[in-house]
Order: sequence, then structure tokens, then C-alpha cells
Amino acid sequence: MKHDYLDKYSRLDSFIHKLDPRVKLICFFLAVVAVVSEPRGDLTGFPFYYLLIILLLAASRIPLSFVLKRCLIASPFIVMAAGVLPLSYLLSPGASASPSSAESMWFHPLSILLKAYAAVILLTLLSSTEKFHRLLNGLQKLKFPPVLGVMSALMYRYIFILNDEMLRTTRARKSRTPGKSRISRFRIYGNQAALIFLRGKKRAQDVYNAMMSRGFQGEFQEYNGFRLKLRDGLFSLLFLALYTGVRFGL
Amino acid sequence: MHIADGILSTEMAAAADAVSVGALYVFGKRARTEEIPKMGIMAAALFVVSLIHFPVAGTSVHLGLFGLAGILLGFRAVPVVFTALLFQSLLFQHGGLLSLGVNVINMSAGAVAAYFLWRIRPVPEALRAFLCGFVGIIVPALLMAVEFELSGYGRGIYYLMSIYVIAAGAEGILSAMIIGFFRKVDPRILPKYPVIKEKK
Repeated sequence: MKHDYLDKYSRLDSFIHKLDPRVKLICFFLAVVAVVSEPRGDLTGFPFYYLLIILLLAASRIPLSFVLKRCLIASPFIVMAAGVLPLSYLLSPGASASPSSAESMWFHPLSILLKAYAAVILLTLLSSTEKFHRLLNGLQKLKFPPVLGVMSALMYRYIFILNDEMLRTTRARKSRTPGKSRISRFRIYGNQAALIFLRGKKRAQDVYNAMMSRGFQGEFQEYNGFRLKLRDGLFSLLFLALYTGVRFGL
Repeated sequence: MHIADGILSTEMAAAADAVSVGALYVFGKRARTEEIPKMGIMAAALFVVSLIHFPVAGTSVHLGLFGLAGILLGFRAVPVVFTALLFQSLLFQHGGLLSLGVNVINMSAGAVAAYFLWRIRPVPEALRAFLCGFVGIIVPALLMAVEFELSGYGRGIYYLMSIYVIAAGAEGILSAMIIGFFRKVDPRILPKYPVIKEKK
């Protein structure tokens, strides 16, 4: 089972790793809100936001190359979105509501890029400094709807097994299709996807039967091992004070 | 197509979050206890299958499968899409956390449109499957374009829609192949023999 790529840095030892997952969920979500609610085209707050992000990254010990890779994955959409504004301006300078001037044509896309990458890095920090199942437990504790909680917990358990299935079928596909034309290969991709789905469905039925025979009532036992400590309080106070301060120019 | 945080206006993202929470409440409540584990594992299957990349026009694209989710799950695709998008956002940073509501609305709309298309019986099954796959991508793409325009991006986004037309075409062909495979190997999975029953 190869699944280390999901939360491989969650086992590092740092101050941020030790924080309560509920505190991290709330703080990072509010930080994302603070950053993305900056007025478009206004770049004054970003040096401070990025300074805070760099400090968090350094404290978390997450390798910079990993964070950059995550940014790269998100890049096609972010760059496309930022490129839409100059495109709209160039196509119809008078018609578009924003940007209204040639100067803002460059500031607006830049602020979009800065906001989006800041949010991506904050989310990377959140998901890489905590084991994913503990984040899900944290969400449950924060009154995440039980239906979604159970679905998420099961989804997380079975992603690994189905991913193994995908790796096996991919290996089989590659070994059986050397030199095939693009069109016939397209059909094989479809068959592979359908096969994984059918096996997933069969497994879902087996799991459901096993769960029912063991008395499953529709909800998992809630994890009660979280305890808020002094460091959680101090971190959330400082973190939120800094982000709020920058956001409102205090 | 997964809208990242900071792209749309905060007001729009917050309003979409509120709407998607309402939709999740309505469609989540409809699900019976015994359906939830199956939905979770089907969400995992959709998530994993969407990781398969295949070559199109010199680049590599991956499946969205929102059309297929609509065919197989109907309105229950809404919580499944939410769960899959939450995972993609937290694990791979595909789409943002604040913009999760917008993404849920866009992708679920594609799934629900596919669900209604699938019910048009006189149309041959392979064509219906193609159209379901096609609308599963093109409906979210069009909604995204409208949201961009409402967020003050102008009309430039409509010029980029051709990319999504190609992706939707590829998804349509693959959906037709997947449905054809289901028909040949295990037709019970198709909605004529519902995997997830309606609440009585």
C-alpha cells in the first residue's frame, strides 16, 4: 500500500505539528479569509502576510520544495484566472467593469496571484502538519454534519485500497499496450476507470455488509482525545491578532 | 476548473458556501443510514478514478466524472461531490477552502444536469452517456465563467472556454466507454437497477 504521499510530513516534530487540529482548522481558515478578502489591486498587506507565512513555514519544518510543488500543481488555474483580467481589458478596454485602467490591469492580476498562492501555502501547511484522520476528527468536533463525517472517514480509509487497485491496473495497462494507437489507448483508459469503479462498488457492498453485521448504527464513535493546552490558546491569539492586524491595517 | 481561494470575490464565495450548506442539508438528510457507507466508498472510487491522467492534444488531462456521479447517484451526488472536493482541497490544494461552496455548486450542477439527461429514454444509451459526460464538465465550466464575470473579470473568460469544450468532449467519450463497460460487465450498477434506493 503506497499512500505516504498524502500526509507524509505530518510525522515531523514542530510547534505547529503539536497544536490541536481544531485550533489549526479555525486559525488557518480565518487566515485564508483575511488574505483573500483584501481589496483587489491593493498590495500593501502582502509583504506582511508572506512574512508570517515564511515564519510559519520555517517553524513547521515542511521542506520548501514540497510547498513549491503544491503551488505548481495549483498554478495552471491560478495563472489562467489572473490572465483573464488583462485579456478582458485588451479585448474590450471600455466595456469591462474591472480593471478600469491600464495600471490596474497589472496590479489586479498580481494581487490575485498573491492571494491565491498565499491561500495554497496556508492550506498546504494545514494539511501537512496534521495527520489527515485527525483533521477529520477535528472537523467532527467542530460540528461537521455526521453524514459527511461518516462519508469522509470511509472515503479516507478506502482511497488507499482503491489507489492500489489503480496502480495495479495502470501497470497491467502499460504492459499490455506497447505501441498501441492513441484511439485504442483511449478505450483502454475508459475500461480501466470502469473496472476500478466496479471493484470499488463491490468492496462498498462487502464493507457495508460487514459493518451491519457488527452493529453499525450510522455514526462512528467520536474521538475524545483532544485537549486544548496553553500553547493552543497562545498560538491562536497571536496568529489571529497578527492576521487581523494586517487585514485592517492596524 | 477547481476554483482556488482568492480568485472570486469573498462575498460571492461566502454566499455560495451558504447555498451549498443548505443543499447539503437537504440532500444529506435524504440519505438513509445504510446508504452513507456506500456513498463514502463510491466517493472514494470517484476520487481515485479521477486521478487517472490520459493524453489529449499533447497534454495530460484527468477525468472529472461528475456526469458519471450524476448518472449513478442522482441528487445524492451533491454530498459525494462535496466530500470529494473537500479531500482534493485539503490533500492536493485542488480548489480552495473558502471557495469550496462555489466548487460544490458548479460540479454538483454538472452532476444533476447529467442525472436529468440520463432519464431521456428515447436517446441511445451511448449517446446519452456521452452527453452526460459532456454536460458534467461544460455546465460547471459555464457556471464558472458566469461567476468570473460577476466577480469583475470581464468577458475574457468566455474566450478560454474552448479548452473546456475539448476536455468535455474527451470526458463524454470516456463516459460512454465506462457506461458501455458497465452494461457489458455488470449492468446492475446502472440506474435501472438502483444501487442506492430512494427514501420511502
